[in-house]
Amino acid sequence: MSDFLLPDLGEGLTEATIVAWHVAVGDEVTRNQAIAEVETAKALVELPSPRAGRITALHAAEGETLDVGAPLIGFADAEADATTVDAPAEEPRLQRQQVLVGYGPVLPGSGRPRRRPRTFPTTPYERPAHAGEDGPTPRAMPPVRRRARDLGVDLRTVHGSGPGGRILRADVEARAQGGTCCAGTGTPGADAPDGSGRGSHTVPVTGLRKQTAQAMTDSAFTAPHASVHVTIDVTDTLELLRHGGRDRDRTSFLAAACRALVPAVGRTPAANARFDAEARQIEVFDEVRLGIAVATARGLLVATLPAEAAATGPALTAAIAGTAEKAREGSLSPAELTGSTLTVTNVGVFGVHGGTPILNPGQSTILAIGALRTQPWAHRGEVALRTVVTLTLSFDHRVLDGAEASAFLMDVAETLAEPASLLVR
Amino acid sequence: MTTMTMAAALNAALADSLAADEDVLLIGEDIGTLGGVFRITDGLKDRFGASRVIDSPLAESGIVGTSVGMAYAGRRPVCEIQFDGFVFPAFDQIVAQVARLHYRTGGRVRMPLTIRIPFGGGIGAVEHHSESPEAYFAHTPGLRVVTVADPQDAYSTMRAAIACDDPVILLEPKRRYWGKGEVDTEVTTDLDSARVLRPGRDATLVAYGPLVVTALEAAVAAEDDGIDLEVIDLRSLAPLDRGAVAGSVRRTGRLIVAHEAPGTVSLSSEVVAGVVEDCFEHLEAAPERVTGYDVPYPPAALEEHHLPGIDRILDAVDRTLGRRSSREAA
Amino acid sequence: MSTTMSAGSTRSPRDRRHSPQGAPAPDHDLAGAVDQPLRVLDEDGRRRPDARLDAHLRDVDEALLAGVLRDMTVIRALDDEAVALQRQGELGLWPPLRGQEAAQIGLARALPETDFLFTSYRENGLAWCRGVRPEEMLSVWRGTTLSGWDPFAHRMATPQVIIGAQTLHAVGHAMATSTRGEDGLSVACFGDGAMSQGDVGEAMVFAASFRAPVLFFCQNNHYAISEPVGLQTTVPLAHRPAGFGIPSLRVDGNDVLAVLAATRLAAERIRSGAGPMFLEAVTYRVGPHTTSDDPTRYRDEAELETWRRRDPLLRLERHLELLGAPVEQLREQAQQEGREAAEALHAAVSEILAPAPESLFEHVLTEEHQGLRRQREQLAALEASLAPAGSAS
Repeated sequence: MSDFLLPDLGEGLTEATIVAWHVAVGDEVTRNQAIAEVETAKALVELPSPRAGRITALHAAEGETLDVGAPLIGFADAEADATTVDAPAEEPRLQRQQVLVGYGPVLPGSGRPRRRPRTFPTTPYERPAHAGEDGPTPRAMPPVRRRARDLGVDLRTVHGSGPGGRILRADVEARAQGGTCCAGTGTPGADAPDGSGRGSHTVPVTGLRKQTAQAMTDSAFTAPHASVHVTIDVTDTLELLRHGGRDRDRTSFLAAACRALVPAVGRTPAANARFDAEARQIEVFDEVRLGIAVATARGLLVATLPAEAAATGPALTAAIAGTAEKAREGSLSPAELTGSTLTVTNVGVFGVHGGTPILNPGQSTILAIGALRTQPWAHRGEVALRTVVTLTLSFDHRVLDGAEASAFLMDVAETLAEPASLLVR
Repeated sequence: MTTMTMAAALNAALADSLAADEDVLLIGEDIGTLGGVFRITDGLKDRFGASRVIDSPLAESGIVGTSVGMAYAGRRPVCEIQFDGFVFPAFDQIVAQVARLHYRTGGRVRMPLTIRIPFGGGIGAVEHHSESPEAYFAHTPGLRVVTVADPQDAYSTMRAAIACDDPVILLEPKRRYWGKGEVDTEVTTDLDSARVLRPGRDATLVAYGPLVVTALEAAVAAEDDGIDLEVIDLRSLAPLDRGAVAGSVRRTGRLIVAHEAPGTVSLSSEVVAGVVEDCFEHLEAAPERVTGYDVPYPPAALEEHHLPGIDRILDAVDRTLGRRSSREAA
Repeated sequence: MSTTMSAGSTRSPRDRRHSPQGAPAPDHDLAGAVDQPLRVLDEDGRRRPDARLDAHLRDVDEALLAGVLRDMTVIRALDDEAVALQRQGELGLWPPLRGQEAAQIGLARALPETDFLFTSYRENGLAWCRGVRPEEMLSVWRGTTLSGWDPFAHRMATPQVIIGAQTLHAVGHAMATSTRGEDGLSVACFGDGAMSQGDVGEAMVFAASFRAPVLFFCQNNHYAISEPVGLQTTVPLAHRPAGFGIPSLRVDGNDVLAVLAATRLAAERIRSGAGPMFLEAVTYRVGPHTTSDDPTRYRDEAELETWRRRDPLLRLERHLELLGAPVEQLREQAQQEGREAAEALHAAVSEILAPAPESLFEHVLTEEHQGLRRQREQLAALEASLAPAGSAS
């Protein structure tokens, strides 16, 4: 048996209703003999038989509506009387519009839409773990995305230092490698840009380095910088720190120095202030929020230590270490990059004895701590080898004068050299 | 709420608009006595009379040009162009007059015309019956160009288009005329906004008119691959709702645009340009366009190769996700 | 099915002839028209004298009459077969010409095959006369091609779907051939609806201004889909060309001899260098506009019955009977040829091959450009990447 399917009778119709059958099962019909009358959305149409033969089945009753492409009428095959059953479909039968032989997109509603299988192997899509969070995708230019892909860096873990939080190439590279920005970049041996004939290579100033440069410039050319310094014998303090507290948790020297700042601010509030140029006044901060300078592969940044960390020496030690790690990873939050009121910079890690740091904009003091070094020193009236350190305080001369700055520094120094002195000051 | 075909929904919207406003009239070929070749205007002449449902002589330029004059006289004409491929005799009146009169006269003359055009292919038709001319009109300042995708949208958008004081080219996807859906005649809509029909995480698939159904089918099929597509129906081609598309692409980072019209200098060109301008830093992959090829509409036997279908759309989606697609060597 | 879409709701016969506001309905009857259409055979088959037409019918004998009877019978059989094929899902669409056989055969048999024809989509009778093969005739409607035959092989342009566009083409062709002194006239075939299109008016302007050797042949079959001719004009269409300076004749399109004679008359005049001419053949579209149309929605049985009495084949058979010719035999012979032609048409369907997908990209320009080549390659790559439909997923 072979079926004649209901055709599309009028340019895009999807169904038709059987109004009347003109034949019955068993009838012999000739080609083009009228077999049925159907009604479409456009017209009442008489259907002529597509072939001569015997009718074996009428697949719809009068009044029933059929989809285009559905079997309408069955004819006996020419060879045998016995009907051969159609091979059963394994999938839901896809209904095709029979406008033309071989033509027909699948009608909607005739089975779940599926794509055709491909000739190459496919695997299900694995969504990256963080994807699908509400909120925008990380911002980065295409070359930076390419670089991140090449380096295996997930952009969602990179802090963007560009405008609006855009991730820059340097951010990606820092995340991936940790080398300094100046190592191996540029074209060695090229002529210096100033045409002086000196060989050099150029390093673009972007990202953090650019920001730092800008901040330094702003600060240096806005605030009149002056500095005072003092070298102190911290041998005994180091001994104290080595032994640790009651519960044996270590306090680092840097943490101790930071803690020494706090009582000093109490006596010289101007050290924890800023000069407000627009209002032409000095703004004195209520609390000390320590900023600590951290050197990263991308450049220098100042991280704000959490306020509660200063409560204990060990807590501050851990906070400093943790913050520094995050800074190097590039994962500091915006809150952690702002809000400090005075800054400490540990230049001693580089081995130098001291330096004249530049103020962090919006502050009036910055304390540089040099390397701990062993030196002959006057100790109890004799020359002895002692561990000493140089503290350098740069200050905004609009906010503090020399006397105040010196008094502040001496307070810090005295506390650091002789912690017990705090009790009698 | 009733289930009806898109054709019936358009018919209801025309009837309700004629009933609500005495100034509304319909003009077109075979729309009155016959009720339209797609029966969109069936029964309206019997109900509202021959002076409000006008069978026009066989002249498209005449249909639009006389409608301009009727608008001067305070009427609100709804023109029918019988098939997309027949709009071109009217192109001059549309572009040189309908689109410009408000601008030309400093807002004194309004052209509250709605020009209805059945468009798109996929119906096995002969030449000039399967065109997608929307880009010509979207490129013409002074026109609103709107499409519909399902019966509810057809009803509400038609009402809004007729009520709008701007000239509206209303493109009706003829291959979807017989698709059925729920229609609530109380639901109103605007003419400007795109709509997110299916939220998704992995990529944004933008379509309009006849391919909205196809896009939703592609999204269902994509689930088999573990891909979650967000489907946007643009609805308004001019003006384009760039904000909706940008908002989506900022989240997914991936854009695929699909339409039947040839791709060169098309609506997808415009959508992609907008996304590049608005979301450049958020793009995780180059935008993809899945469109008709740059050929005149082919014979019906070839149209399924020409028209974007599920497989071609998902092949493009795969490219945006960095998955293997038909374009990479083994 | 939604009730508002039901065809049944508007099927009751009513007189719905359109009339412009207030004016009486234009009379579709041939008698009483301002310009009585010229005829030589009346409805009963009797031969009537007409001095102008008789001059061009001196060669009419039984053989000629039998020949045109056969022609009309065959193209009717082909037309009926094509409608059946559409109903059987083998063609997407077909525009029947039933009722217009005399107009097409009368025109075709009056002109040499060198005259170039620019026609609408309904002139399949003309195509058959020009030797277009069955599969060539069907392939456009089957959707495998946009053009069924080589226009230059049959001197007949691809039938035009855009109403009236072909009239400008015919005029341009005539302008070009005449300036080169080439023989032959160009013919534009179109309907009553086309007369409202701007292109047709422009064609007449150009034809008149340039004295182009073009024959405008308008088959007024009284309907443009559902719109009666009274909507396109309030006076006989044959009046309009006079306004352009083009002489015209109005002829009974269901009288094959009248059409034959009028065409010969017009062709002789045009070939003499007198410029364009216009023939209105008044006939009737007995069937629907196309297989998608439902004429019961806009015209009534009474009108159809009137025109069935004017059937061109019936009229010619009656005439042959009056002449004492063996009508039964001639009819049977003609119908046998018609059956054979219909069979050939039916068989031709399987000769029409589906085009290869790559052909989508061919002939956009004379040479394929790079951008299109890329698209072609992308489609090929896509097809290569997909397993055949029906494979297990």
